[in-house]
Amino acid sequence: MAQIEQSDGGKKKKGAQKKMSIHVDFTPMVDMNMLLITFFMLCTTMIKSQTLSIALPAPPDENATQENSESVGESTALTLIIDTERDEAGNILTDEAGKTKDVIYYYSGFEPTIEKGVVTEHKLAAEHFVGNTMDGSRTVQNGIRKILHDRNSEVLDEIEKYKADWRAGKIDDIAFDTIARKIRNNADYKNRPQVTIKATERASWESVISALDEMQINQISQYRISKFTSNDSLIIADYKQQNGIQ
Amino acid sequence: MGKIKVKRKSTLIDMTAMSDVTVLLLTFFMLTSTFLQKEPTQVITPPSVSTTKVETSNVAQILVSTDPTGENTKVYISLLGEADPDFPEANEELGLYPGMWSTEELRKSVLTTASLRYKELTGRDPGITKFDVDKFAKIGTFGVPMMQMHEFLNMDQTAQDEFISNLANPQSGIPLRDIKKADGTITNEFQIWMIAIRDAGNPGLTEAMRKTGSGIAVKADRTAQFNKVNEVLENLRTIKLNKFTVMTALKTEND
Repeated sequence: MAQIEQSDGGKKKKGAQKKMSIHVDFTPMVDMNMLLITFFMLCTTMIKSQTLSIALPAPPDENATQENSESVGESTALTLIIDTERDEAGNILTDEAGKTKDVIYYYSGFEPTIEKGVVTEHKLAAEHFVGNTMDGSRTVQNGIRKILHDRNSEVLDEIEKYKADWRAGKIDDIAFDTIARKIRNNADYKNRPQVTIKATERASWESVISALDEMQINQISQYRISKFTSNDSLIIADYKQQNGIQ
Repeated sequence: MGKIKVKRKSTLIDMTAMSDVTVLLLTFFMLTSTFLQKEPTQVITPPSVSTTKVETSNVAQILVSTDPTGENTKVYISLLGEADPDFPEANEELGLYPGMWSTEELRKSVLTTASLRYKELTGRDPGITKFDVDKFAKIGTFGVPMMQMHEFLNMDQTAQDEFISNLANPQSGIPLRDIKKADGTITNEFQIWMIAIRDAGNPGLTEAMRKTGSGIAVKADRTAQFNKVNEVLENLRTIKLNKFTVMTALKTEND
């Protein structure tokens, strides 16, 4: 392959020169290429980062006359308070499987009543990020996802009808996204939850992103990130007291 | 007795095929991969189910770096990526030429605008020279107080890297300390930078930052305290850049 044979043009003369073959040694070339490949493998990345879009409410406008915040109905309101367990040095604690110990406290409806600094209505509950498990061929939601899934079942059931078509390739991704967006923003579904996400000071960035993910997974269109208040910490302290958690 | 003549066999291995393969591999790596960006600190982005890819041009990336206690929170900004391919269409009369908003040109404009605005608001002159602006154009990620910028730009590269990647260094990171404006409202250096980037004159970037939010990418470590990251988000919200993206890694719904 790497040699060039010099042909004598088919003529056979007496005393013709011996056939010369020129060898080109490709070993240094291979060496150099290997070095270059190593360089590219070490200094580059094939993974392109993904991004998640977030829209915060616009800053309050001094000139605005009307309140533009959406009213939240008691039956549809759901508040999540995210907390991450950390040790004293601030390192995130993990369980045996290496998962971070995130706790999501949640309550439906309006904020529990607090009288003179004492929480009188114990409606807070706690859950974790668990994800899905398979029960035979059926997907089962667990943890906080189950709560959100059940609250938004109207929308999810409707989208599920189109999901089969989408999986079968009858409708493409863009068409499916359009349909899904239409359904989750459809105000006819009266029970769509309006989720308020709050995070304690210790909550990790990952846990907040996970919570936003849950909104996307459960097709919840109405959610906002809100400030963690002193009332919220009172409610959590009360919950811990009620359940005997340190 | 006749000697048995052992025919000498050549041990040459033909490397041509091998060379072909390596060249193909090399081509593949060169075409598919992107260079790792040099960042002041290593950040592991949180996993998310979102599959939207980060934009390759017109992105201002904000890096929020914290230590476990959250005491040393540093903010860096990087203007990276390719030149905006769609802008501008050549128009000599207006002084527009393709490639005008290369990242380097953008950075030059940003530093000039930001330092002028800083001087206007605080009355202190950061002393940025034309020479500094040229040096700034070569820097991907920056994050020093405006008053230190001149000094920072005059260090050599190794010193610069050390300077900003040291989380304990109080001079590293863009300060979020309040600056009182003449009309009583409060701003800070981070806001000055972000406004300078928004108003740098590249309409593609301005649009991506104001309308769709794809022009801003916030990158924070998965373990970072949310309230520290939120400080940056609130700052963005204050300057009406309330739509943005956050950098995430991929995970599946079942995780």
